[in-house]
Order: sequence, then structure tokens, then C-alpha cells
Amino acid sequence: MELEKVKENILKDIEKVKDLKGLDEIYRKYLSQKGEISLVFENLKNLEREKRIKVGKEANELKNFLEDLLTKKKIEIEDRIQREIEEKEWLDITLPVKKIEVGHLHPLTQVKKKVEDIFQAMGFEVVEGPEIETERYNFDALNIPKEHPARDMWDTLWLRSDNVQCLLLRTHTSPVQVRYMEKNQPPLRIIVPGNVYRHEATDVSHEFQLCQAEGLMVGKDISVANFKAVIREFLKNFFGKEIKIRLKPDFFPFTEPSFDVSMNCLVCDGKGCPACKKSGWLEIAGAGMVHPNVFKNSGLNPKDWQGWAFGFGLDRLAMMKFKIGDIRLFRSGDLRFLQQF
Amino acid sequence: MVFSYNWLQSFFKKNLPKPERLAEILTLYFAEVEEIKKVGKDFILDIDIRPNRAPDCFSHLGIAREISAILNYKLQISDCKFIEEKKIKTKNLIDLEVKNVQDCPRYTARVIFDVKIGPSPRWLAERLEVCGLRPINNVVDITNYVMLETGQPLHAFDLDKISKRKIIVRRAKNGEKISTLDEKEYELNSDILVIADAVGPLAIAGIKGGKKAEIDRKTKNIVLESANFDRSLIRNGSNSIKLKTDASLRFDHGLDPNLTEPAINQTAFLIKKNTGGKIAKGLIDFYSKKTLPQKIKLDVAYVERLLGVKIPQNRIKSILKRLGFNIMSISTRQIILQVPTRRLDVSIQEDLIEEIGRIHGYDKIPFKSPVVSLIPPKKNFEIIWEDMVKNVLKEIGFTEVYNYSFIKESDAKNLGYKKQELIEIENPTSLEFQYLRPSLIPNLLKNVQENQPNFEKIKIFEVGKIFKIEDSKILEKKMITGLINGDAFFDLKGVLDSLFQKLGISQFFYDEFKPTPEESKISIWHPKKIAEIKFDSQEIGFLGQISKRTLNKFEIKKDLTIFDVDFEKIQKYCTEETLYQPLSKYPAAVRDIAVLVPRNTRVEEVLNKVENVSPLIKDIDLFDFYEGEGIPEGKKNFAFHIIYQAKDHPISSKEIEETQSRIIEVLEKNPEWEVRKR
Repeated sequence: MELEKVKENILKDIEKVKDLKGLDEIYRKYLSQKGEISLVFENLKNLEREKRIKVGKEANELKNFLEDLLTKKKIEIEDRIQREIEEKEWLDITLPVKKIEVGHLHPLTQVKKKVEDIFQAMGFEVVEGPEIETERYNFDALNIPKEHPARDMWDTLWLRSDNVQCLLLRTHTSPVQVRYMEKNQPPLRIIVPGNVYRHEATDVSHEFQLCQAEGLMVGKDISVANFKAVIREFLKNFFGKEIKIRLKPDFFPFTEPSFDVSMNCLVCDGKGCPACKKSGWLEIAGAGMVHPNVFKNSGLNPKDWQGWAFGFGLDRLAMMKFKIGDIRLFRSGDLRFLQQF
Repeated sequence: MVFSYNWLQSFFKKNLPKPERLAEILTLYFAEVEEIKKVGKDFILDIDIRPNRAPDCFSHLGIAREISAILNYKLQISDCKFIEEKKIKTKNLIDLEVKNVQDCPRYTARVIFDVKIGPSPRWLAERLEVCGLRPINNVVDITNYVMLETGQPLHAFDLDKISKRKIIVRRAKNGEKISTLDEKEYELNSDILVIADAVGPLAIAGIKGGKKAEIDRKTKNIVLESANFDRSLIRNGSNSIKLKTDASLRFDHGLDPNLTEPAINQTAFLIKKNTGGKIAKGLIDFYSKKTLPQKIKLDVAYVERLLGVKIPQNRIKSILKRLGFNIMSISTRQIILQVPTRRLDVSIQEDLIEEIGRIHGYDKIPFKSPVVSLIPPKKNFEIIWEDMVKNVLKEIGFTEVYNYSFIKESDAKNLGYKKQELIEIENPTSLEFQYLRPSLIPNLLKNVQENQPNFEKIKIFEVGKIFKIEDSKILEKKMITGLINGDAFFDLKGVLDSLFQKLGISQFFYDEFKPTPEESKISIWHPKKIAEIKFDSQEIGFLGQISKRTLNKFEIKKDLTIFDVDFEKIQKYCTEETLYQPLSKYPAAVRDIAVLVPRNTRVEEVLNKVENVSPLIKDIDLFDFYEGEGIPEGKKNFAFHIIYQAKDHPISSKEIEETQSRIIEVLEKNPEWEVRKR
């Protein structure tokens, strides 16, 4: 009966306690050497055997009960105290950041990587070629004979040399088509990123050094319809949304038929704006079906193979993606520009 | 090239679509219309005609033919029949001699006498003006008019000014001179074709007429020329005297020799009608080998295979007919046809397939994914390693720059490059870009110079090609070059360590660079703060500080540390493989050791000695390095943590003590080294 009473008192005391000191007092009152529960244990030896077992058991249960209660209460009080402290604290979250040094990849590297990744996922091998080229690879092998007015389409930077062989800075990545097909039997799929050079005056939209990517797919029955599907898939992945494309007739000596590829203008969504000269379309690539002479010049029989090739400017793609208005920024080395990417 | 909308309309009875709509149609099915402009009551369309279509489409008639084919409108060509004088024969009025058939495959001429020179009728002058040509007089204007209409350039000479009434088509003599209609004098050479009389040149063939036989107000009798010249000859000629004209533009793209005759007849007709002149009987026609239409066999199945769309054979037939191809035979498998001689651009099946495709409409070709075998592409490790390099450097806080592949002469000089090592551009866009860069360093130095006003700390890198001549061969190779401004040798050394570790390259080391006296004179590097990065005793790059002299030349304020690594060499040693090293179950123990060594001793010498003492030594860390007060003159102190750990058992203090003693013993074998006991 005595223990029942003790338990009642405990519950009352716990109810009242407000702080850690109070808890300590409760502990002392019941569980210290002279505490009420300890005294019950102390008195056990005076009881007869049967009673001793019963009381002992009950006392033990009460002791555990109290200990649990104290622990719980302690956590409760500590939490409350902590909260009270935190409530008094304050942080001005609008203070300036502590600068963490992070690096930046060039926007053209980012675009190039994305292009490579998308085409690699479609089974295209990434291939590179030299920037110093021979006249043969840059022009003749691509069905652009000397003295043909078509050569005027590419203003060329020539290297000064005493040798007979004329060297130049490649005006497009297309020479790699021939270089690759000379060494690799179709069917084949490649994507060729790299620098190209033009003898051209520069302004906000013209550069004399550019990054280009060339694509080539050759097989037994690779068609214009296949080209349309692949290029649309690429654009969809690159811009992250459905893109409309349109082919227009064009002329390149190394493709027949030739066409250029336009996509719906992303600035105005095809409604017409200054960026697309009010047409709603932006030209992004030149393309076409590989000319039989290019196969011949690569040592392949044009009767056996057909396929398409395309080329587009990575600078232009990057300008569209990041909405950059001046192409010359890419090679300006200006960290205020580069560290935005 | 600009075209008059009203002029194009004159070829059709049916009304053409509105200018904007017509422009759209031409862009989609023929060539891009870049601009539409209203001029008076007319519109001009600026059409970007591609060079392959110049022979038949640098003319209103050509564009009209395209419109007719695209819209299926009937083309109307006005009748130019005229009556010749019966008694006066052309061949009695003028002699023609063509010296070389190759230079001039065809030359047609007519004589018109009793013309009255005066202004052109208004309608004609207006058409010329709309197309950007200045009216001169009726005869000259009509020749220009016919050129704009048919694409055939024509020329009119004053018959009475031609010496001995003889026209000779010949190469110019070297140094021969001609005064042209625009009062300029040109010195000619034997690569230029001229139209001459018995005395001297009357015109630069296909390029510009001369003063001598000019049509003027007093002109009564004229000779009309409508000829076909070799296109390369005209192209080279006009390049060599730097003179491009409406005529040379058309000749250098090539023209149909069969065009000269209808063009000259139309001109004669118009001149007779508008000047009252009389046309002498007969056409002078030098035409040694008539150009005949070419035959092409078109494989019908190939049309579908190449375009990826099935076009009904009737449609194919109709498209080809509308474009003026003459179908000779047709079966389900094959169409045999003749190509009109004006279509210089059509010679193979693929050319015909382009015609069918574009007129049918590229928008009608479906999107069809190719059917190919499902194989992953071959990996290009060069690209993989390049990306890895860029990513690692980015992660360490570097910003990537792209520079032009060129430098100017003074940069080359400042960096000590000799002319014979450099590749020069024959026709640079500017002297800023006269040489290909032999190193990435010069442009990176410029980056520092340009960014230093805005940035305290500069950490940049570039991966790109360099170009130079080595052993009289052209060398093009990829380099990785990076820099940190300030005294940052060890920061950059740490960067390289991390970079190489990520690339899986472990067997590299830094060696002192000992330049030859020749090299050190021109070196951009600080002579004592430079290391050669080596792999297998092969040099793969440099790490060092830039000399003050170089910094001054580039007006760079702070010190600069640069690494310059040959990417092609290191990529051979890169590996994707990483082998896991099992973690030891047993605890490691650390003991310290301090050594007093002469000032010029390298820490590596000490490390090498210690490392080899026992396999129980897992790692050695230099945690302190000191010289100065408290250390004897000429000496410095290294302090190391030696980390002990065994793979297979807990290491005992006895083992550690024994190894420590051995280390001391080994170090003190060098009489100048002294282990400092505490």
C-alpha cells in the first residue's frame, strides 16, 4: 500500500517539475541512498519471505518506472531549453555569401559535349581531324575543283610555304568525311567536332575562327527521311523540347541533293521576330546526301553506298542556347563572360 | 541577285502570288529570297542563287522557269521574229577569227545598220533601274536588258570604229593595254582573252568593253556580240585585273553555248524595233562543236531509296517535264531523259533526284528512323581524356578559355620564337593573326593582362592545338596549359598531381630543368623556378614561374606560375582502370623525425632514402620545413611524420623503434645530414 502512495506522489511531483534542478530533487527524494524507494529496499530484509518477494518486485517496477519517467522528462526539458535558446538567436540570411571558388567550362565546350553525348547515344563515333589541311582534302576530294566558282563559298586562310603542296586552315570539318571513309568501311556513323577557319571580317555575328560539328552516316539505304528523323531527335534532345524542322534546297558541291536545315525560332516560337528576320525559322545546318564523287574520292564505290552528311556551327548553337548576342565573346578570354557559365 | 517582280509576271498570263508569298515559295522550292523591297510600282526580290544554278538562273527567264515548274503555270515567251535585209549580208560587213576554240567555244555576231542612238523607251529604262543598272542609251540598254532577261551577256561595238572591220578573238599580249568604257586603263597579259580588231583590243572578252569601239551618239552601224567563253579563263582574267562585272559574273559560272543565238536574235529584234536599225542578213556563228543535250538514265527505285519517300511515277514524270527535261522513254524501273543544255548543273542521277525532291517538297518526306544494328560507338579515348582534363581542372576552380589559334609577330619575338619555327599565314585577316600559335602561353598571358584590372585572382586553362615547324615538318598537337597568378608554384604542382591522379598516371616526376645556355637566354621561364615534368625519363611538359622580363613585356603585374603539358604524350599513359587497395585492418602508428641538411638538398633526396628502409613505412609527410634563426648557417631543417602500418599484423613498438633507428642510420650515412634527436 505504501508503494501505491509513493507512486501517486511521484506522478504529482513529476507533473510539477519545470527544470533540471527539479528533476534532480525528485531523483534525490526517491532514488538516492536515503530516497523513499531506496528505503523500501532497505526495509525488505525486515519482511517475511513471501512478502519480501512481492514488495521487492513491486519496488523494482516502481524504480524502473520512475527512471523511465525521469529520462523522458529530462529530454523534454532539455528540448524546451534548447528551443528557448534558439528562439533568442537570429541570422541575417541576406548577408553576402562566403565565396567558394568554382571553375567554369567554356560555353563552347559545354555545347560540344552535349552534341557529342546525344550523337554518341545514337551510335555515332566521335572523330577528330587536323586543322591544317591539304587542298586535296579540304576541296578537291570534296568535289570542289580548283577554279570552280563554288570555291568562292569558302574564303580560305592559306599557309605561306615554299613547297608545291598548298596547305590551308580547314574551312570546314568536312575533310574528315574523306579521311575517315578512306580508313573505315561503311556502314558508319560519325560526329566530327573541331575548329574551322574563314578569311572573313568579324562582327557580332561573324567570326573567322569557329567551332563546327560534322555528322556523317553511310549505309546501304540511308535516306533523306532518316536524316530528318535523326536531326530532329538531336534538336529535341539538345533544346529539351519538341522542335519543328524544315529543309530548304541549297547547294554544296559534296552533297546531292543538298539542303539546309532550319528550326522554328525559339525566341518568338515561330511567330516571327528580329532574330529570325520575321520568318519564324532559323537556319542551323547545311546538309545533304553524300555526292558520289566524295565516295569515289574516299576509295568507296558509290554504287554500294549512300548516306548523308551535315555540318553546323557550335558557336551559333551556343549563342541560341545561352542567348549570347556577340559571337566574338567566345574567344575574348574575358572572365566576366566565361565565369557566367 | 535582284529580280523585278513585274518582269517575272510578264512571263505569265496568270497572276503570280503576292510578292511575299512568291518569296516564300521560291525559298522553299528553289533558293532563299533574302529580301523583298518595294520600288515604285514594282517589287524587287533579292534571291541568293547558289553557284550551281547560276548558268540558267542568273536571269529573269530562269527564275520564271522555276516559278513555272513549282506552280505549274504556263510560261509565255514573247515572239522575237524579225525580217533581215535581203541584200546586205553580215559576212560582207565583218570578218571573224577565233584563234582558239577552247577559249571561245562559240561566237555569234550580227550587224545592224542605220540605228539612231538615243534614250531607251521608259518601260525598258525602268526595268533596268529597278534591277540596279543605269540606263545609258538604247543600244547598250537593250544588250543589258537581254542579259537580265536571258542571262547571256552581250556587247555592241561601233562597226565603223573597228579597224579593217575584222574581229579577232585572241589572248592579249603581255603588257598590252586597253582603255575601258569607264575611262580606266588595264594592263593585260596572255592569260586574258580579248576581242580585238586588226590594230588592238576592243574589249576584254566577257569582262568589259573598250573605249575604242564604243557606241556613242554618232554611231550608225553596230556589231552585236553574243559569245560563249571558257569560264576558268574569264574567272582568272577577272581575278588578275581585279575587275568583276555583271558579264564576268555570268561567264565565270558557265553558260549554255546554245543560248547565244536566241539572245542575239532577241537583242537584234529589240534594237530594230526601238532604234529603226536594219538587220543585215545572216548570223555569223563560230560554233565548232555543238553542245548536245546529255542523256541520263534514272533508276526509279533509287529515287525512293535516296529520298526515303515513295513518289508516284506520274508525279516524277510531271516534275521532270515541268523543269524542261525531255523524257525519251519510261518504264516502271527506269526513265531515260535528255537534259536541256542550259542545265549545266545536272549530269548524274542524283542531280535529278534533287530536282524531284525539292519540287515534290522536302516537307513531304517523312521522319523515318534509320534501321541499323544496335552497337555502341567506338570510344574515342582522346576525347574522353580531354573531357576528363577539363572537368578535373574545372573542379579545382579553373576557368576554361578559348583563344584564337594565332599570334602576332611581336608576341613571337617576345617569347623568343625564331621565324623558321613558325607557320605564317599567307593572307592573314589582320597582322594580329599573322602566325599560327606555337604555344598556348602567349595568348594566355594576354588573358591575364586583360583580366587583371577586374580580377585579383586568375586561374585559367586552355586545351587546344599548337602549330610549329620542327625538323622542317609541320607539327600540329594538342596541349593543356594552365596558370595561376601570384607565387603559386606549389599550388599548381598540387593541381598537376590531382590531374595526373585522376587520369590514372602515377609514374611521373618533376626534374630540375637545365636549359642549354642558348635556351636560357630566350627562355620565358624563371631560370631557377622551373621543373620539367617527366614520365619514363621522357619530358611531357613544364611547370614554372614566368620570368620578370616576360611579365614586363606583357604588362603583367603579379607573378605568374604556368604549367604547359603535352596532351598527346600524356594521353598515352592515361588509364580508366583503378585498382582497389584493401584497407589494413591494423592501426597505423606515427613517429616524427627531423633532419638538418644543407640548403640545396632537395626534399625528394631525403624521401627516397627513407622510403626504401622498410615496407612497414606506409607514408612519409613533410610537415615542417625551416631555415633561419636557430638553424646553423647554410642548413635547413626538414621534419617528417613517418606513418607505420603493416598489412598483416598489428605493428609492435619494437618494430617501430628498430625501423626508426635504421632510418637514422641511413640518413646519417650522408656526413652532411644530421638527424636531430629530441
